[in-house]
Amino acid sequence: MSTNLVAVIAVLIIWLGIFLYLVRLDGKVKKLNRK
Amino acid sequence: MPNFWKFLLLLLMSAVIIAVWVMEPPQNQLGEVSRLFYFHIPAAWVTVLAYFVAMRQSVLYLRRKELLYDVKASSAAELGTLFCILATITGSIFAKMTWGSFWNWDPRQTSILILLLIYGAYLALRSAVREPERKAALSSVYCIFAFPAAVFLVFVTPRVYQSLHPADSIIDASGRIQMPAPILVTFLASLVCFTLIFVWMHRLQTAIGRDLHREGKL
Repeated sequence: MSTNLVAVIAVLIIWLGIFLYLVRLDGKVKKLNRK
Repeated sequence: MPNFWKFLLLLLMSAVIIAVWVMEPPQNQLGEVSRLFYFHIPAAWVTVLAYFVAMRQSVLYLRRKELLYDVKASSAAELGTLFCILATITGSIFAKMTWGSFWNWDPRQTSILILLLIYGAYLALRSAVREPERKAALSSVYCIFAFPAAVFLVFVTPRVYQSLHPADSIIDASGRIQMPAPILVTFLASLVCFTLIFVWMHRLQTAIGRDLHREGKL
């Protein structure tokens, strides 16, 4: 169970990283389009 | 993508990740590695979806001759290749755990490699031609012919030749879904999440491609 917990947290962190990267990119693209 | 969908995606994907590791593995005899099923099949699904979008946008480009469709087609093909690589990597891990080695030249593995080469050639073709209209016309024609090959390689080849890859992991020979409800719900949620991620990435990639094209850098 503890291995599973570590795996869940690791995958959640990776997912959050991808999500935040996309949000940041989205913001940059919107800013470029406004110019 | 509207903020509502982004928020929904964040929550749903997080719920899927937790559910994947909290629930029993989908196939007990394969153990923990069978949890990869929730990411491997959606990645393969998005690959086919992306290549279909690329083909559709290529047809639209040839009809209307607007470079925006070409940008959309190339963005979809690039993302399709990315998801195809993901499906190949997860499949290889699965192969190592179940068949003993990462690469066995199984018909499924060979067909996915050929698919990657076909779309790798598409990307090479695009980078080899500088004039935008000529690049768009050539790559659109190539992309339209590449999609039937993709369908053949993904759906037909592994079923024609004897393959170790399970062909009926979702729907059995009689056409029935053969998964317990919790596994099916998690799998479908993962499928929705991967599709939303693709839609979002495709919009971003298209917007970036359009800007680069406007500035003459593409």
